[in-house]
Amino acid sequence: MASPMCVGTSILDTGARKAPAAGPAEAQAGVPGMFGLPNVANPAAFCSANLGCGYGTDHAQDIKFAKGTTTLAFKFQGGIIVSVDSRSTMGPYIASGTVKKVIEINPYLLGTMAGGAADCSFWERNLGIQCRMYELRNKERISVAAASKLLSNTMSQYRGYGLSMGTMVAGWDKTGPQLYYCDDDGTRLHGNLFSVGSGSTYAYGVLDTHYKYDMTDEEAIELGKRAIYHATHRDAYSGSINNVYIVKPTGWVKVHAGDVNDMHYKLAEEKAAIAASRAGAEEKAP
Amino acid sequence: MDTLLGIAGEGFVVLAADAQVARSILLYKNNMDKIAHLADNKALACAGPQSDCVSFTEYISKNMALYELNNDVKLTTKAAATFIRGELAKALRKGPFQTQLLMGGVDKREAGKDEASLFWLDYLGTLQKVPYGAHGYGAAFTLSVMDREYVKGLSLDEALGIIDNCIKELHTRFLIAQKNFVIKVVTAEGIKVVRGPPTPDLGAAGASAEAAAVPVQG
Amino acid sequence: MSILEYNGAAILAMTGKNCVGICSDSRLGNQAQTVATDFEKIFKMGDKLMVGLPGLATDVITMKELLTFRLNLYRLREEREIKPETFSALMSHILYQKRFGPYFVEPIVAGLKEDNTPFISAFDLIGAPVVTDDFVVGGTCTNNLYGMCESFYRPDMDKDELFETMAQCLLTSVDRDALSGWGGVVHIITPEGIMSKTLKGRQD
Repeated sequence: MASPMCVGTSILDTGARKAPAAGPAEAQAGVPGMFGLPNVANPAAFCSANLGCGYGTDHAQDIKFAKGTTTLAFKFQGGIIVSVDSRSTMGPYIASGTVKKVIEINPYLLGTMAGGAADCSFWERNLGIQCRMYELRNKERISVAAASKLLSNTMSQYRGYGLSMGTMVAGWDKTGPQLYYCDDDGTRLHGNLFSVGSGSTYAYGVLDTHYKYDMTDEEAIELGKRAIYHATHRDAYSGSINNVYIVKPTGWVKVHAGDVNDMHYKLAEEKAAIAASRAGAEEKAP
Repeated sequence: MDTLLGIAGEGFVVLAADAQVARSILLYKNNMDKIAHLADNKALACAGPQSDCVSFTEYISKNMALYELNNDVKLTTKAAATFIRGELAKALRKGPFQTQLLMGGVDKREAGKDEASLFWLDYLGTLQKVPYGAHGYGAAFTLSVMDREYVKGLSLDEALGIIDNCIKELHTRFLIAQKNFVIKVVTAEGIKVVRGPPTPDLGAAGASAEAAAVPVQG
Repeated sequence: MSILEYNGAAILAMTGKNCVGICSDSRLGNQAQTVATDFEKIFKMGDKLMVGLPGLATDVITMKELLTFRLNLYRLREEREIKPETFSALMSHILYQKRFGPYFVEPIVAGLKEDNTPFISAFDLIGAPVVTDDFVVGGTCTNNLYGMCESFYRPDMDKDELFETMAQCLLTSVDRDALSGWGGVVHIITPEGIMSKTLKGRQD
């Protein structure tokens, strides 16, 4: 591994130069100066080499962090479904099975958590503060577009420092239901369907195959639950409780919190019943 | 980079494999048949570097044929899978074959209840019998689709439907465009090609008319 | 990641009064991806002898085949079943033969001796034997298993108590390990025979 003291390729990283090397700590929301930085030639490189907390990035590090895992959100006829698991792991150790990965920013805005648990919870709380400040200043609620932009601005300011977060910001504003994806390298995408985390590919598999825009609320909730369940079954780093939210014009509502394991055995029973009824039908047929 | 899919039903096994041969940023060929016929009732889908896949499947199929001639017995699917695993494990500590495999076979049984089995093998020599399985990056997208839709005792049409959904999902989400898939069905009676490697292949459009007349060899 | 953690496993052996138990989870993983939930990691080596093989799955199978082979030769030559103590020595020898290119397994042996007292032992991947009289553990969540066993092991349990203790220790341990779980199996070896039960475990 390259020594963090060397000038590496990160010198080309525009994000690294934006943040001040050190400086007086002024506790102001969203301003990077509030954190003390290590007193080395290139604090960004040092931080990302020693304090990185993404998947696979901290194996060689002395310091390891708790991580979050499978999350998804999609728009449909009735609003937006946000569905997440609740497992947090440090290496193969399951640190927690009761993590709240949906962060309730305000009654109309939700954020999801994947990647570094500390990074997500801190910066989404910070986003909550910024959104409230906006509301007080402007006497109206912040749009989802603006809120997600605030978060992605923060991410851009810390680019190259080894933050790890992949988050979805979902909410209902004047323009209707809106869904954004933001991550630690400053990417910000508007879209209809996202899944983030190590189990996301499994969730996408179920979601893409069975998604229809004109689902009823019940069908959409069920799809959100199933996608997370299938991801937790195949992905070692996802599991435990499945929390589901629905975003409506009147704000978000939490509609489900259940153990994915209970869901597994319920679905396994249903499958066994289908298989048994077929075997029965086959015997009668000839 | 390759994707292999497989589903075992009652009396049949469906195998599917993408048809790409690529290296670095270049796509050499998009009509490669990666599913080798080991015997009338056994097929082996192979992912990995083309050189390893070809030499390994040839080595396996010829040695199996030799064994059957020498000993005058037909290998069961499980016996063949165990043989393949042994060869992979032996190679592992010399210079491994970089091959990920799915082997499907159907053994004739009394009373018309043919036994279909699908085996999942990796380059290390891990062997596991599975009802359905996948290899490669594609597995991350398709295993959940199979988990969701597979029912014990499913019909051939249903199995092909699941494979179709898997391929659809790969086409929507997988960064690497795997345009063509070869799909084969193994039964006790033989191996049926549901979807073969397409002709003509990429480029040299005029030349492929001639090539199309020659059966494509793996 | 260690090569011993590539496929994931949790195995535990524990002694009781005139009985001994060995149990394992049933996951076969490809790192984070769960490939199968019915992978066998414990193998019968005699009427009153079993071996658990946590580690790299390919070597689990190789080791099982090798042990079966060596045991068959032993039976042919000696015309009797192998003793757990002898099997342990054989195991250690086989592992050390590959001192400079080891099999990536850390075997656990559980059996009843000739007088039906329990025998358990464990090995590292190059054959260092550890023989204890309470419990031995192996796999990707040994810390968890040690914690559970230290708390719940009691000497001289009967076969039903032993089963219950082992099942609870295993299931609780794997629930805090991402790489093992997805159900399990428990084998209780008694002078009358082996009682095997599958455990319904969490599937995430």
